[in-house]
Amino acid sequence: MLVSLNWLKEYVDINIAPYDFGEVLTMSGTKVETLTVVSENVSNILTGKILKIEQHPNADKLVVCTVDIGTDERIIVTAAKNVFEGAVVPVAVDGAVTANGTEIGTSDFRGVLSYGMFCSIEELGMNADLFSKEIMEGIYILPANTPLGMDVRKLLWLDDVIIDVELTANRSDCQSIVGIAKESAAALDLPIRDFKIYTKDEKRNDISNYLAVKVENEACSRYVAKLLKVKKVEPSPLWIQVKLMNSGVRPINNIVDVTNYVMLELGQPLHAFDYESLKSKEIVVKTTNDKKIITLDNKERNINDSMLMITNGSIPVAIAGVMGGENSEITDNTSVIVLESACFYKNSVRLTSKQLGLRTEASSRFEKGVDPELANIAALRATYLLEEIGACEVIEGIIDVYPQPVSPKKLSLDIDWVNAFIGISVSEDAVANMLKRLFFTVKSCASGKLEIEVPSFRQDIEGKQDLAEEVARMFGYDNIPSTIMGGETMIGGKTPIQKYEDAIKNILVGQGYYETLTTSFTSEKRLIALNSYFKDTLVRLVNPLGEENSIMRHTLIGHQLEVISLNYNRKNPSGRFFELANTYHKSEAPDELPREEKMLVISTYGSDDYFELKGMVELLLTHSGINHPTFSAGGSDFLHPGRKSVVYVDDVRLGEIGEIHPSVVKNYDLPKRCYVCELSFKALYESCVTDIKFIDLPKFPASNRDLAIQLKADIPASSVETIIRKNSGDILESIELFDVYTGEQIPENFKSLAYALNFRHHERTLNDDDINPVIEKILEELNSSLDAQIRE
Amino acid sequence: MELEIKLIRDHCLADLNEVEELKALDNVRIKYLGKKGTLTIALKGMGKLSSEERPIIGKLANEIREEIEQNITQQKQALEQKEMEAQIREEVIDVSLPGKKHLSGNLHPLTTTVNELKEIFLGMGFTIEEGPEIEWTKYNFDYLNVPKEHSARDLQDTFYYKDDIVLRTQTSPVQVRVMQERKPPLRMISPGRVYRTDEVDATHSPVFHQMEGLVIDKGITMGDLKGTLDLFAKKLFGEQTKTKFRPHQFYFTEPSAEMDVTCFKCGGVGCKVCSNTGWIEVLGCGMVHPNVLKACGIDPDVYSGFAFGLGLDRIAITKYGITDLRLLFENDLRFLSQFK
Repeated sequence: MLVSLNWLKEYVDINIAPYDFGEVLTMSGTKVETLTVVSENVSNILTGKILKIEQHPNADKLVVCTVDIGTDERIIVTAAKNVFEGAVVPVAVDGAVTANGTEIGTSDFRGVLSYGMFCSIEELGMNADLFSKEIMEGIYILPANTPLGMDVRKLLWLDDVIIDVELTANRSDCQSIVGIAKESAAALDLPIRDFKIYTKDEKRNDISNYLAVKVENEACSRYVAKLLKVKKVEPSPLWIQVKLMNSGVRPINNIVDVTNYVMLELGQPLHAFDYESLKSKEIVVKTTNDKKIITLDNKERNINDSMLMITNGSIPVAIAGVMGGENSEITDNTSVIVLESACFYKNSVRLTSKQLGLRTEASSRFEKGVDPELANIAALRATYLLEEIGACEVIEGIIDVYPQPVSPKKLSLDIDWVNAFIGISVSEDAVANMLKRLFFTVKSCASGKLEIEVPSFRQDIEGKQDLAEEVARMFGYDNIPSTIMGGETMIGGKTPIQKYEDAIKNILVGQGYYETLTTSFTSEKRLIALNSYFKDTLVRLVNPLGEENSIMRHTLIGHQLEVISLNYNRKNPSGRFFELANTYHKSEAPDELPREEKMLVISTYGSDDYFELKGMVELLLTHSGINHPTFSAGGSDFLHPGRKSVVYVDDVRLGEIGEIHPSVVKNYDLPKRCYVCELSFKALYESCVTDIKFIDLPKFPASNRDLAIQLKADIPASSVETIIRKNSGDILESIELFDVYTGEQIPENFKSLAYALNFRHHERTLNDDDINPVIEKILEELNSSLDAQIRE
Repeated sequence: MELEIKLIRDHCLADLNEVEELKALDNVRIKYLGKKGTLTIALKGMGKLSSEERPIIGKLANEIREEIEQNITQQKQALEQKEMEAQIREEVIDVSLPGKKHLSGNLHPLTTTVNELKEIFLGMGFTIEEGPEIEWTKYNFDYLNVPKEHSARDLQDTFYYKDDIVLRTQTSPVQVRVMQERKPPLRMISPGRVYRTDEVDATHSPVFHQMEGLVIDKGITMGDLKGTLDLFAKKLFGEQTKTKFRPHQFYFTEPSAEMDVTCFKCGGVGCKVCSNTGWIEVLGCGMVHPNVLKACGIDPDVYSGFAFGLGLDRIAITKYGITDLRLLFENDLRFLSQFK
């Protein structure tokens, strides 16, 4: 919200530098984003009246103007087309500076000396957004009654500082000059001045001859109306226009400007109807079945029966709290106006505004909540101003429909509690004083307690914690001493699974893998490309950001492939990645949250093969105390059917590993060979054997035997190993497959597996009599079960 | 005999003088001192000597033997030294040639940042808590005192799975779960992934990360909140860091504040990073709202506490000077590998 410092100073004597004032506001809870002088450079530009306009003797497009600048008359040559005799304009006299820093001197225009120049909006540095292109292109014409020889910097408030404040959602009362003035007065501990309202003691109720108001919906908590006869619809006086402009609002005419002025000043949105256009003697606030309304901005809006309308009894004339209707707009011919000052329920306005996609100064104030106690005050303030500037004559009487007036909230505050809660030590008087500065009514009662009445505009104050915040911010958050927590000693620390997570990541990093960070969303299309679209178990979002992000991923594989694809296409020759993140699965029970499962995904491309990745997994398992995992052929459809396996520890499925299916390679634009592994982190953690026990170093030598086994190529090596282990008893210390051979030496469709077996007994030296029978048993079973032969 | 031995010595020393390698030295040793060496053979003839001569010659022979052995040892050491020097000369390498490549990856910069934050709070006795990312609206909003009609609940702001299930918009629901499950005193942080319906750009992502912290105990004050977070800021950004607490508003805390820290780039004088203000907004915090405590079964008249929340992605990109948030989620190796 834009706040004019000059306007603020009409209420509070702020006599510190703007920057310091900004700090005070920020530290007391009204965050100042920026402080900007309207027009920093402008100087020596004066108001002047054009007395005479003559054609330039040597130039068709130039005119020579005689201008009265109060003290004397000057000749100014201009090419502007909108100047006329009698016009009051800003004159940059010799030595003046315009908004962009240009210095103005006397110059010769084809033989005629010009002692300065007339200024446009842009040259004055005023808010260009508020003016039409037409006005922007010409000289800025000031009201005819403007005194001459005045410095426009002062007159047009070009020296004003515009404070952009960010208001918090709870402080709807701060959405006005007076609201900020109250905060400023409290923060600076200064008094605040009153504003004038229409106070005539009206004896007659003439208004009843014109209008009655009915409120048929509780979303309107108060409706105040005042009627005024219009003397003339014309531009507002400059002092009103200037305040509107410095608040970012475009001046329109005296009637509309006053309604905007009061909204900016007090925070109460007002609306003025053309009484005659209402074509009715009543206003009814209700919802209707109408489908369309044309609003003041000449746009047709689709309305419905959930939106609160101001009607003339039959048709809507305004969308309550959002915007007026074109059918009751103020025009130059308006003779009587209805001034509406109402309070609409914030949620109703918010939903209406949202449905219409129409947010206005009025709706944004109602959305946050407006004090119903303000409605009549604002009506009377506007009435005062309209009368004061000579725009209207007042019709006596006021309508005020206010079925359930709010009663002031009462709270009590324990001084000891507030001190203990904040961690300060402040006297009862000091606390009372702070709250009084904030317009609370404070009464001291016995035993260190204050009885407090909350002003109606503070709708955010509900309990003692809210009062504590008021005390804290008046005391100054920065003045609260920083302390170290007392209380019980807390050990804290990571849980075993959190430590395990760190350990796993460290191992992967140590082996050259980079941790990735990918989003949780995927789509039907992306999953189909992954051969993994299982439509019944997916978690689909109601309101995704596009189809591409409509499903919560059930696997991390897709995103890893996208990472590989990106890197491959950016010519990074190889890469190793991993990520530990959640996957999401529809729950079977309807009253449960979707199941989230943390998965570890590892991927590689460029230089590794299946066995490289498998080795990585085996290393992770070794570090987890898991020594004999099984990798049995099989796995998901995104993997190469001949190069995939499921990883088990005992009977627990940890996950799967393999090469990416050629079709997926194509779909994801991947390098020809990519390898991935996805493991359930929970299963992995639960399979961990964490207690490490020391085993004595061997005292007796080992005995080594090499075995080359020839068997059919399609028999997995793991079956051979299983048979060797099974028949070796506990003297087999280790087994290593050191060669796999296929080729000329052996028959087609056969392979030879060469194992190094290491036997050892921990109590004696083994000899041939111990080992030979074992080898024989092994060979026998290899032969009978796998039809495998020893290769001599 | 004496002459003979002396002659052997002279020959031997002469031979030794000419030796230039270890092998030859050994040959000389064998030639004179070996089983069939000249000195050995000569000494075998000692038996023929008279008993007067024997001790004299014996002594002389031993002296000469020792002399020769000593000579050999010296010569051996010299030769070994020479040989080693030669070896060293031959083995000179170009030490400026590059080392052999050892592969190592690294953690994602977000993880590294989060780890740093975790360490700070673990040191203060906090635990790390996790909770579901897909969460009941009651945990994400209701128990946190967010008004029923608040716009944060709109479809424009929050991803919905069902009417009463959303993608959590903050990690605060974890606090609610912990408060409902455990008794105070509590000190916890909950880093994690959160979601809001922001379109992707240089500073926004619909998926991002937050860390919330919570302390509940008897007698926790706003001064404790300031003290704890000030300590945190100093540990994260350096000893010289100053903090500033500005009043603010959140639904789950009252009083509420935002904490700024002196810009870690310019130290507070003003630069591009801090938009010339000298300060950087880091987190939101406040005293836990009594409605939140009540909703979690904690008596606000007995216990008080504070909570805080900060955006992890933003801390990470500010810390490393990363110019575009999208880089965090893109995973280009040329990006990832910068954070060793």
